[in-house]
Amino acid sequence: MIADNANDPIEALTFDLHGETFALEAGLVREVLDLLPETAVPGAPPFVGAVINFRGRVIPLVDLRVAFELDAPPPTIDSRIVVIEHPLDGEPTLIGLRADKVHEVTAIDRAVTEDAPRVGLKWRADFIRFLARRNGDVIVIPDLEQIFAARGQTAVVTPLHPSQS
Amino acid sequence: MSGQDPVAIFRIEARDLLEQVELDLLTLAERQDDRETIDAVFRSLHTLKGSGAMFGFDALAAFTHHCETAFDRVRKGEVAASPALISAVLAARDHMRALAEGEPTEPGVEEALLDDLRRAVDGAGAAPVSTPPSAKTWRVRFSLPPETFVNGGRPLPLLDELRDLGPCEVTAVTDGVPAVEDLNPTDCRLAWDVVVTTEQPRSAIEDVFIFVIDDMTLDITEVVDEPAAQAVAEVVPDAKVAAIEPPKAANSDAPPAEGRPRVAEMLRVPAERLDELMDRVGELVIAQSRLKQVAASSSDQNLMTVSEQIEQLASELREIMMVVRMVPVGQLFGRFRRLIHDLAIETGKTINFATDGETTELDKTIIERLADPLVHLIRNAADHGLETPEQRKASGKPETGHILLAARQSGAEVVITITDDGRGVDRARVRAKAEENGLIQPGQVLTDNELLQLIFAPGFSTATAVTNLSGRGVGMDVVKKTIEGLRGAIEITSTPGQGSVVSLRIPLTLAIIDGLLVRVGASRYVIPLSSVEECVELPVEQDLRSAGRSLVTLRDQLVPFIRLRQMFNTGQEPDPHQKIVVVSTGQERVGLVVDQILGDHQTVIKPLSPFHAAVGAFSGATILGDGGVALILDIGCLVAAGQRPDAQLRAAG
Amino acid sequence: MSASILTVDDSASLRQAIKIALTGEGYAVSEAPDGQAGVSAADAGDFQLIITDLNMPVMDGLTMIRTLRGKPKHAGVPIIFLTTESDADIKAQAKAAGATGWLTKPFNPDQLITVVKKVLAK
Repeated sequence: MIADNANDPIEALTFDLHGETFALEAGLVREVLDLLPETAVPGAPPFVGAVINFRGRVIPLVDLRVAFELDAPPPTIDSRIVVIEHPLDGEPTLIGLRADKVHEVTAIDRAVTEDAPRVGLKWRADFIRFLARRNGDVIVIPDLEQIFAARGQTAVVTPLHPSQS
Repeated sequence: MSGQDPVAIFRIEARDLLEQVELDLLTLAERQDDRETIDAVFRSLHTLKGSGAMFGFDALAAFTHHCETAFDRVRKGEVAASPALISAVLAARDHMRALAEGEPTEPGVEEALLDDLRRAVDGAGAAPVSTPPSAKTWRVRFSLPPETFVNGGRPLPLLDELRDLGPCEVTAVTDGVPAVEDLNPTDCRLAWDVVVTTEQPRSAIEDVFIFVIDDMTLDITEVVDEPAAQAVAEVVPDAKVAAIEPPKAANSDAPPAEGRPRVAEMLRVPAERLDELMDRVGELVIAQSRLKQVAASSSDQNLMTVSEQIEQLASELREIMMVVRMVPVGQLFGRFRRLIHDLAIETGKTINFATDGETTELDKTIIERLADPLVHLIRNAADHGLETPEQRKASGKPETGHILLAARQSGAEVVITITDDGRGVDRARVRAKAEENGLIQPGQVLTDNELLQLIFAPGFSTATAVTNLSGRGVGMDVVKKTIEGLRGAIEITSTPGQGSVVSLRIPLTLAIIDGLLVRVGASRYVIPLSSVEECVELPVEQDLRSAGRSLVTLRDQLVPFIRLRQMFNTGQEPDPHQKIVVVSTGQERVGLVVDQILGDHQTVIKPLSPFHAAVGAFSGATILGDGGVALILDIGCLVAAGQRPDAQLRAAG
Repeated sequence: MSASILTVDDSASLRQAIKIALTGEGYAVSEAPDGQAGVSAADAGDFQLIITDLNMPVMDGLTMIRTLRGKPKHAGVPIIFLTTESDADIKAQAKAAGATGWLTKPFNPDQLITVVKKVLAK
């Protein structure tokens, strides 16, 4: 989890999802992969519609674009899978995240972060941890806990937290 | 083995010992005078105390000491193994377990347990502790040689032993201690002057010093009222033991013989290591299937031969691995004797508990996960199934109720049954409850089996008065879910007035199964081979005709079928010659329409993440030889879907 | 150096503790889980010292000591037994059976090593 020490810069991996820049704390990231053959899970929601073979383990492939209601363009030569380890229902779980393009790991200064999700007004506010600004760009730091708990569903009726469901 | 931490070994050992103590105590509850069992309990407690003290489990050692003492008296025939004593030691055992596991314990629990134990011992006293009038007071003076400490000698246990004999007053005699500048701190320069009052004979005092006597000075005198009586110093003359000749080989520098006899033939291995090994075997099986694929597409005869050999070896390794992980269900069944013992006391019912097929083996992980469901089912049988002795008498049954827990292997499954001879399931009450909870419509027509199955519906509970036994927040729905999580199935049959039988069908292993690999659209899926009954061609005319009703006639029986292509929404045209794989779970059958049957596949089961747990149709996934992933079909779920009246619609939609 | 020692105890943790302590000193340590197995091991092997528990299933330590002493091969092998402070009365029996000395549980590795060295030096 990101430390709430306001002055500490955060080492984060930045990546694109349909034109928007997102960032994840670098400590969460296990590996960045080129696209792999995917296996669709019939009946699963588009947010997590497939699984992949990651080093002999079957891990879910999450599409954050669904949670942020972004278009999903067809994969390009830049498309990647970011494998993170994140708790899911209390168990540390390996999860693949689709990314349209992956950038470098960079330090995001909390000092320039702002909470007002001006850019993200169209999105569920609780899906965003905070926004950061860099070279005029806005970087979205998603709240994976909330997104995973809601299974990426953008409807507001979705319970905010599994414990309340 | 050699690298293992003794403390870790002790934890496992303590668990085993305490489990054994429990079983033995329960045996004693039935056969009070069973000498062998009494000895066994004493021995277990003794080991627990001794080893516990060795590895820093001081609280455990101290507490166990009291129980050991109590059982020592049972062993010596001073106290009977009364039901009260058994119950007290059983309760104490639970506390020991908590201490051994390092669980937090409530303050005051220990005192309460020891009070119970004392009361039980006092109440059970066949022969009251003799406080013979002949207690005498002795003055014991002794000193040890200066090199005692260096040689590993310890005066404290000697003093403790003297204290065990009776009230004791110990004075250290410092006359022999030199001035500080001359003092060597490793020398033993103290002497002791002990006044002890005991009913034990003088020889008991001498025995305390029996192994140190050779090098020490000892003076034992009886203290008579006139303290003037001074006896002559008396040293027990026995120096033989120390004079043992060194064995001939003792000083030789010969290296230890390589071929030392293997004495302990049973090897204890931490379960995680077996899990790791199992994982590796799983990887091997996957790599092997890749090799097989490569070999098949090449014309290299040698490669093909090697591939076949490796396939054979991997298959054998897998079989061995499965066997290694198997443990008899007896160790699980044993735990329930205690449960029944407690339930009988709590409910006031007389319960005869029998087990059968304890040697039937199951994967260790499965056994662990079966414990909770079985506890619940046995509680249910005792609490709801069995009647009170009065009720039983009134309905002409023997007062003692019977519960039978049995296991047997049936193919690749183990069937565990819990049978009671109680009142049976009250159908009217089940129906009333289900209507009340909105599970069924009032007056809805149900088969008897459907009615009984309602018991497993979420939130269902027939207990009008929630007792503290079964009202623990878990219902039969949780039991069912757990069993299905093990890829097993649960069924109940019941005869009013005669009792109920709950059957669990559990696969032998969790990790690797034999599967049938099929293709639906562009995706491949695995169907557990154990549930496959047969594969048939879907007749073209059936295919065309069955748009509305998906039923196929197989040997004069109508079997519902599900078009996986539609269910999985592949959006592709079906193959011209589709196949039906007929699967079953015990009684119910359903046909699964697939595009192609690809063949047998040794399937290493990989779990799906919680994201996909709710999808339902899949129980896991596996990795194929080409690195692709195939989902494993959850047969229980599909069969249930096929049996539901609306399933055909959904499948067709 | 490197004498061979047999440790007989039904407690695997205790055997392991003894083994670790003594192999660390360069001794070769074999194990047996009860008296019966202890006798078989002693018969089959060549040990310069036997360390045994008294309270064991199948065959207890006293019986084992008596059995070993009854065989010429083992008449001279030192035998140390392990006991707890409450076993006062049993020491006499162990001595009568032919034990060389004892060690009170709990003991630490240094105490064990000291006793072993002392016994082997004799």
